[in-house]
Amino acid sequence: MFSGLSRRRVLLLVVLTCVLLITLDKSGNPVIGRVRSVFARVVQPIDTAVEAVALPIERAWNGIANYDDLERENEALWDQIQHMKGNDVEARSAVLEYRELLKLNQLTSKFQYDTVAAQVVGDSPSNFQNTVEISVGSSQGVGVGMPVTDGAGLIGRITKVFPDRSIVLLLTDPQFSVPAQVLSTPGVDPPTGSTQPTQSTTLSGIPESDLTSSTTSSTSTTTTLPLPPELTPIESSTSSTQVASGSSTSVVVGTTTTIVEVVRETGLLEGQGNDKPMLLRFVDTTSSVTNVKVGAIVDTAGGNSGLAPQGIPIGIITKVQKQLGSSSALVEVTPNASLKRLNFVAVVLFQPNPSAIGK
Amino acid sequence: MRNIILGPLLRLVPVGLIALSIQRVVFAAHPIGDIKLQFVLALVVAAGAGGGSDRGAVAGFVLGLLYDASGNTPLGLMALSYGLAGMTAGYVHSFTPDPQWWLASIFAFFGAAVGETAIPVAEVITGEDGWITTEIWVTVLVVAGFSAVMCPLLMPVGRWMMGVKRKKWKAMLE
Repeated sequence: MFSGLSRRRVLLLVVLTCVLLITLDKSGNPVIGRVRSVFARVVQPIDTAVEAVALPIERAWNGIANYDDLERENEALWDQIQHMKGNDVEARSAVLEYRELLKLNQLTSKFQYDTVAAQVVGDSPSNFQNTVEISVGSSQGVGVGMPVTDGAGLIGRITKVFPDRSIVLLLTDPQFSVPAQVLSTPGVDPPTGSTQPTQSTTLSGIPESDLTSSTTSSTSTTTTLPLPPELTPIESSTSSTQVASGSSTSVVVGTTTTIVEVVRETGLLEGQGNDKPMLLRFVDTTSSVTNVKVGAIVDTAGGNSGLAPQGIPIGIITKVQKQLGSSSALVEVTPNASLKRLNFVAVVLFQPNPSAIGK
Repeated sequence: MRNIILGPLLRLVPVGLIALSIQRVVFAAHPIGDIKLQFVLALVVAAGAGGGSDRGAVAGFVLGLLYDASGNTPLGLMALSYGLAGMTAGYVHSFTPDPQWWLASIFAFFGAAVGETAIPVAEVITGEDGWITTEIWVTVLVVAGFSAVMCPLLMPVGRWMMGVKRKKWKAMLE
């Protein structure tokens, strides 16, 4: 077969062709995009056929090996549902109140963006890519760069789009980065329960633990709850003061009845691969040492260069460690979403600034 | 040149598509301790161990291209890594023209280790760093071990798809 070519020539040909293809793909050649699209269509029926063979075997095996585990998990989930039903009622009223406030102040939120529901249909086959494949594509209006969420918060962004399929780069991939913000109230420690990585927040960014507190301010109450991100720029009445320093903005909003002090720190959240928590790098490096505490909630910062609208919850800070010889601290964030068990997700039809999609 | 393209491609592509689907549906969905076993890589090194380093490189290139086209990696990255894997495994033919199963498995182990290590290295070269950590050695060892185990089973398939016939030895008659 290879009589015409020596071994070295074959190897050289393979290497050079690979380098050429990588260069073409990296430069965004449209032909390669079309080839991928055609290939996705070709592979789909073969995947379905293999799945048809593998699924009964897998189910039989799961039935034998995992029955007890599933039963235990089912009972635990029922308990969790009962617990969450109580929180749900309060969460709904809080979200309604939040929307009313946004409307009142003529502010926008991610609720103005439509979403497309999708199902996760495949994981990345490689050990060096944290991606999932979802069941919607360009024919449903999905585009490259759009953020993807599940019930618990942001899970990633779209990196490749085919007509009926898309590839989502997950938060934990080293290639993923998103501008993020931490809202904290100085002097007030976050709830101790929030140090648990599994703590969830509502889509409005309000932690469930906070929903049990009173959010209705009356003439006699003083609340120190963090405001939703959209509410931070409110110019309030005569007693309000605002202190801005670098990227860290300290807003003190006061009315005659309510005093809310919210410190907003912004930074870049980056994945570290596999199951490692994400790393938050602050724009103002000193802020991570002074204001940020374990348990604080991290959500998307939005803005012109943002890859997602403001206020989508991402996760909670699980570790703040001061680094030797550096003024900044190592801030680790654990995602709210359980990335290993994704099933139904939603693509937020928010088209980011093309210059922001780069990384 | 024509033989290279037309001969093995007719078998490589359909076999590669089925192997890729098995990888995507079965092995990607069932990682062992967060490590996804690489069925396509195992097939590549088996083809290399069965047919030699040049055939292994071509098998790795074609199956790697299919892998790239279906995933999120730049087209050519997995082709390069798997090409190296097939080539390394094929060096067993430098020692013996008809390797025993255990010798082929040893070379399949090293070939798969080279191929799996080459992926994050190639990603760094293309500007996608972040995967080279101390933990990748565990991944490489597990993936290479799986390829070594699968090699004797996949070698006949690898030989067939590369159009290689196993040599039959006859005693010399006086």
